[in-house]
Amino acid sequence: MEPILITGMGVVSAIGLGKAQTLEALLANRSGVGELKYLKTEHKEFPVGEVKLSDAEMRERLGIPQDAVTTRTALMGMLALGEALEEAQLSQEMLPKVGFISGTTVGGMDMSEQFYLDYIHGEAHKEYIAVHDCGSCSEMTANHFGKFAFVTTLSTACSSAANAIILGANMIQCGEADIVVVGGSECITKFHLNGFNALMILDTEPCRPFDATRHGLNLGEGAAYLVLESAESAKRRGVKAQALLSGYGNACDAFHQTASSPDGEGAYRAMSEALQLAGLQTSDIDYINAHGTGTQNNDASESQAMKRLFGDHVPPVSSTKPFTGHTTSASGSIEAVFCILALQNGFLPVNLNWSQAMEDGIVPVSQPTQKELNHVLCNAFGFGGNDSSLLLSRAGHETRDFETRDEALSRVPRPEVPCPIYVLSAKQISIQQPLSEEWMDQPLAYDVPFTRSIDPSFKDYVSPIEARRMGKILKRALATSKEALKAADLETVDAIITGTGYGCIENTEFFLDALSNEGEQLLKPTYFMQSTHNTISSLVAIQTKNHGYNVTYAHKGISFDSALQDAWWQFQLGKIDTAMVGGHDEMTETFHHILKKGGVMGKDEEMCGEAAVSVVLSRHCEEERRSNLESEPLCKLTGFTMLHQPTINTLMDAVTHLLQSSGKSLADVDYILTGMSGDHEGDVAYLKETKTLFGDKPLLKYKHLFGESFTASGLGFYAAAQCLKAGRVPASLFVKQEEVTDKQPKCILLYNRSDGKNVSLTLLEA
Amino acid sequence: MDELIYTLKQQIIEALNLEDMKPEDIDENASLFGEGLGLDSIDALELIVLMEKNYGIKLKDPSQGKEIFKSVAVMADYIAKNRTK
Repeated sequence: MEPILITGMGVVSAIGLGKAQTLEALLANRSGVGELKYLKTEHKEFPVGEVKLSDAEMRERLGIPQDAVTTRTALMGMLALGEALEEAQLSQEMLPKVGFISGTTVGGMDMSEQFYLDYIHGEAHKEYIAVHDCGSCSEMTANHFGKFAFVTTLSTACSSAANAIILGANMIQCGEADIVVVGGSECITKFHLNGFNALMILDTEPCRPFDATRHGLNLGEGAAYLVLESAESAKRRGVKAQALLSGYGNACDAFHQTASSPDGEGAYRAMSEALQLAGLQTSDIDYINAHGTGTQNNDASESQAMKRLFGDHVPPVSSTKPFTGHTTSASGSIEAVFCILALQNGFLPVNLNWSQAMEDGIVPVSQPTQKELNHVLCNAFGFGGNDSSLLLSRAGHETRDFETRDEALSRVPRPEVPCPIYVLSAKQISIQQPLSEEWMDQPLAYDVPFTRSIDPSFKDYVSPIEARRMGKILKRALATSKEALKAADLETVDAIITGTGYGCIENTEFFLDALSNEGEQLLKPTYFMQSTHNTISSLVAIQTKNHGYNVTYAHKGISFDSALQDAWWQFQLGKIDTAMVGGHDEMTETFHHILKKGGVMGKDEEMCGEAAVSVVLSRHCEEERRSNLESEPLCKLTGFTMLHQPTINTLMDAVTHLLQSSGKSLADVDYILTGMSGDHEGDVAYLKETKTLFGDKPLLKYKHLFGESFTASGLGFYAAAQCLKAGRVPASLFVKQEEVTDKQPKCILLYNRSDGKNVSLTLLEA
Repeated sequence: MDELIYTLKQQIIEALNLEDMKPEDIDENASLFGEGLGLDSIDALELIVLMEKNYGIKLKDPSQGKEIFKSVAVMADYIAKNRTK
């Protein structure tokens, strides 16, 4: 690939605010891990790497009123983002052309865990309910500086920030964006401190990665963002590269929800892929910033992966987690900044606290070392085996070492027109009959504010012993995924990409209940390990033994759309031939009550449901290979775009561009599928905007049948695809009954305006 | 001892959420991990929570579980000797 420029970066962690303090601490071998000070918890026995500012002090620095609704994760994110934007010379006026992709897992859990009982029983603090989720944190961080072109959120546990960097890089490679700000933020919460404690992987001493006596990790917190920019854009703006992103890899270990495989398969694949993409050899790598958490399992597995790839010539390795603690979702970008500082200043960060070699392990850098570095790898691995590796290079290598631009372009074709993607299959479990299209003729009607999905028997998809640790959301995801693969006549796919607004809420609720009612002792590890958003996607990978690309998006009502976007750009880049895109959300009585109180959903006549959708996409139709009727493609996906807080003019431009680039005009579009849900304000906005954008095109809706949920847009995609396949639109989908027609639909445009802030446009054709 | 073994089986079924399983289905002498019931490291952590909650036994290191959780019978024996409630 042609290297992508990093034209700005910002960082906040236990070792300092900003790059200058960070560099100084790294060179002085000064750890920021120490006694717990800011988090209110009983577990004082664990050393942590806290950012040395209270929430109040952060608010003051950022000029945010003390009573304004925000979260620690968002505050730290703003501190880091401000520094990155400043270095890259990105002013507020330029942000509408810049994308923002952030990684987090805890989101607003620091507030939810304090106010959980108030959320259920009272009115106090209810304004914080709307910022519980990951997407809200990203939006608060972004909106502090202005209006970004689009905002989305990666949530793959401890590799979230690394995967945010990968999506940004893919979008720049496609030519879709010139500048994307990427990274992640995560504060320590009682929730995950207790969760890691339940998994018994926290050390009561300072952590010692790769040491024979290692006994677990120390938690840390922080944020970091990188400004990724195309060479052309940087040249035009006259900004210089701080470093280069010259390769990256994402693979799934597909082994276990909370443990890495003994041979480090996922890590090995991620690092290999990064090297391959960069066109570099193992001998070109001067340093590896390891994931190196200090747990028995990670360090053994990661050592094996490095030895498999580098043989007897493993380059210098260190884990910087003894400096900062494990900054979980933010670690990918924080450690990428450490790598860039090392590249710029020519030194190897020390693996603090190391003294004794572990059996079969690597021997890390234990002494301060000055060394000119050209290319380094930065690893970030997450629960569920979501493993990623970034290859960063010293600025000045734009033209040396790598394949030439022409070579890169010939290897990665950039089509002028987007290539159509075939929708091979789409399966759902919802409040309509599961795994069936019965709703087209006999839709079930409800007159309740909230109802849960109708579940099929899961016995065909999962054995009772496997089911012991699966909430409903996981079983549904497995059932729809397996059925979608079967209908597509595929054994496996190149990528599994999942969207979930709130993730495994049921288990999150169990854990919060126990934490709030019984205190911080004896919490069940099962609830915690299922509470991370990426549990769904990685479970599907584990069950289908899929080592391919695997990520999870958690951004409110555009979670499914974000997953679709990721697949779309990877298809366009030619990186994948097949993908499974999922949208999965569950809802409990308690959380429905909370979210209704917080004004997040359930307004007016809006009925809430649950969603499980799995869609199999392919670049190829291969009709000859598919003999039975069911595996003929449902339709084609021919265009996709996503915007954040667009003006009506921006929207008009986006619609024009979308149609033009797929060789269509508005006259070719038969229907607009809206997300009208019975929420009066939202529905009025839908009517107004669609009138302006599409004139008198007939409008369709689906949420009155399938219910509202964060990934309901996945059900919309499913419904539109089934209509195109069936060659008819059921009367029940029409917004205006007088527009009902039996005309065969050829082209449906999906218009999703999630809470008015995020809009996605998806073009499906027969 | 038989009573403790039976109660323990019930508690294991509940703690590990072994749907469709009854105490009679578990052979107290069969291995809990690997070949037998097929439990894994997370189940071991759940059993540690179970012992602390119900019998006041605290294990500091999950590796101690390897011996104690060999079978329901071994586990019951350990509990009988070490319980504080």
